[in-house]
Amino acid sequence: MISSFGYYSLLTATLLSLLEIITYIKNYNQKNYVAHQFIFYKFSFYFIIISFILLIISFANSDFSIISVYENSHTAKPLFYKIAATWGNHEGSILLFILVISAYGYCFIISKRKIDNHLKATVVFIQNILLIIFLFFLLFTSNPFEKILPIPNEGLGLNPILQDPLLVIHPPFLYLGYVGFSLIFSLTLAALINNQFNIDWSKLAKNWIFLPWTFLTVGIGLGSFWAYYELGWGGYWFWDPVENASLMPWIAATALIHSVLVMEKTGKLFSWTAILALLTFILSLFGTFLVRSGVLNSVHAFANDPERGLYILIIISLLAFVSLSLFIIKIPKQTNENHFTFLSRENVIVINNYFLIFFLTVVIIGTTYPILLAAIVGKSISVGPQYYNSILAPFVFIFLLLMATGPFMKWKQSAFFYYKNIFISFLLLSVFIVTTLAVLLQQFNPLFLLGILTSCYLIISTFVDIFYKKNFKLIVTNLSRFFSHLGFAILILSITLNYFFSKELTTNIKLGENIAFDQFSIQFKDSKTKNESNYQELFGTFNIKNENMLIELHPSIRKYIQPSQFTSETSIKNNGMSDYYMAMDYSSVQSEGIGIRFYYNYFIRGIWLSFILITLGGCISFYTRRYDNKI
Amino acid sequence: MKKIFLTFFFINIFLSSVSLADDKQAIDIYKKIRCLVCQGQSLHDSNSDFAKDLKKIIKEKLDNKETDQQIYNYLTSRYGDWILLDTPVKQSTLLLWFIPIIVLIVGIIILFKRTVFEKSKLS
Repeated sequence: MISSFGYYSLLTATLLSLLEIITYIKNYNQKNYVAHQFIFYKFSFYFIIISFILLIISFANSDFSIISVYENSHTAKPLFYKIAATWGNHEGSILLFILVISAYGYCFIISKRKIDNHLKATVVFIQNILLIIFLFFLLFTSNPFEKILPIPNEGLGLNPILQDPLLVIHPPFLYLGYVGFSLIFSLTLAALINNQFNIDWSKLAKNWIFLPWTFLTVGIGLGSFWAYYELGWGGYWFWDPVENASLMPWIAATALIHSVLVMEKTGKLFSWTAILALLTFILSLFGTFLVRSGVLNSVHAFANDPERGLYILIIISLLAFVSLSLFIIKIPKQTNENHFTFLSRENVIVINNYFLIFFLTVVIIGTTYPILLAAIVGKSISVGPQYYNSILAPFVFIFLLLMATGPFMKWKQSAFFYYKNIFISFLLLSVFIVTTLAVLLQQFNPLFLLGILTSCYLIISTFVDIFYKKNFKLIVTNLSRFFSHLGFAILILSITLNYFFSKELTTNIKLGENIAFDQFSIQFKDSKTKNESNYQELFGTFNIKNENMLIELHPSIRKYIQPSQFTSETSIKNNGMSDYYMAMDYSSVQSEGIGIRFYYNYFIRGIWLSFILITLGGCISFYTRRYDNKI
Repeated sequence: MKKIFLTFFFINIFLSSVSLADDKQAIDIYKKIRCLVCQGQSLHDSNSDFAKDLKKIIKEKLDNKETDQQIYNYLTSRYGDWILLDTPVKQSTLLLWFIPIIVLIVGIIILFKRTVFEKSKLS
């Protein structure tokens, strides 16, 4: 019953969206288009919500007459994870994808800002087209309400590593982020079609970039944190293709945030901004393709199907082709030439944009090259973290220096020498800090010194930027930049410290045994088992001694009943900003003892702190710009 | 670029305490080898039977004073390039390494052409 109703809600939503499109085309030449208030679009949105809620209910009730519930749920699971399973599978996640596209269009319609009627109608029209494309994709290739006969008594269960509280909120945030870029895509195309791609557009567009960008930052942060404590590999970023898939639109959007600013303040970079806006969403779709198509070898690549991948690829090509053609035909001839005064603020931003594009290129090439090589030549190669680290690291440092310099520059004129003394004093202070740190920590590796130097330089400059420039008074309008730039500086600082001072040990240990390495000693004290509703758990008790500190860790191994699978649960305890981290491995040979992986993760909490700061910057930016400038 | 980075990396390893050198060398290799039976894990991150066996083999080879390169050669001859997480520069990976460098250079040229050098008005 519920499943049929869900399916018909989706059909109704599709129909309503089509009606909205017909209305738009019919009224295209009439001035007062918005009279009917996008009533079809709104109702289509409501029906999508209804079908999503119905799918959640089906999962919560373990309605195994629906294939996607049968394949991804199990009665023994706690209710929380039954609900999370709704978007933990392909069908449900595509429905969530559609819900987010629809919701962004809806928010755009009801937003209080005064927007030119014609532009508004065209934006909703394009958003609607995107909506219909994905509704068709859902209905024809991945119907979440598809039935199964005879009705099974029990489901197959959800992949245990997905049964985690963070994973319940991680995908929605990620989708609110990268699917959210659909609106800026529509906004760009609509402005191009209507010949309204101008400075007013950039003022309107800013907000619709900050919102999804902030969500995506949270999504990536949560994903990274999840990988850290759930996978048990001790790391926070693996340059895994699926991680890269979410990073690509993030980098493009970060570049876009800055180029829109240049467009707004100087009337330059029109075509560049348009390209970035279109590219951001195309990259989001490309990411969806990578994750969903099964072309990847990744810990994240669940629920994939080559045929669906092909459809997504066709959609991407189509959208890329249409948007690029529109861009070429309609991009306005600029009044201002794209030349930049050396060391003006826009020039520094342009250089930073260039670095971001370089980072983006490296990530795209690194992710797609092995896939293309395998497809074309038939050779399989791996591109591991070493590739990204070795190419990106040197440039990140220059990037940081530019981030520190930009805010002190003036728009449209060179002001470098005016602030020369400030820059020199920052540099001296940073050099002093680095020297002290290097001596204290006995670490003189050039990469370490550069990493600390540049991130300290950026940290100092962000504080001066916010407090000093107006005689020690807080400059509220710059708060968003303060938090996001400070966050990025702390990110690089933490990564550097973590890279050089973390310790790790992978070994086998027997009950009662004591292993010493570096300044640590590890003792396997005790083990016990426990039974839960959907798994059995084996806990170990380990004493970690670090000089005079004693820490007890309790990692465990879970044996899930359905699907039958082992997972290892980490145990993490912090000492200030650093973590003691341990995971156990199931060993088939009992006599060898149990496999353990111990990590001392130096300053890792700085990385989580930096995610929070960057997110805070995005939130403030969105909040303070809500009402400014009408179009 | 990669060479410079690796040079720094190895100098660092060399400088760090000599007694641990053997172990660090082994771990460094484990990190650059893919665990073939896992999903996207390195040998170092994995405790699968495959990883354990391969670690043992690598350790033995190191004890026999074989160089890193010899070990990598041995592994690729047995399992193919797929096993190397640290992508080597060779014919099939030429574009992988050079496209970023080309983008870098072309970008600098464009930036340079678009920049107007004028005397600072504020100095």
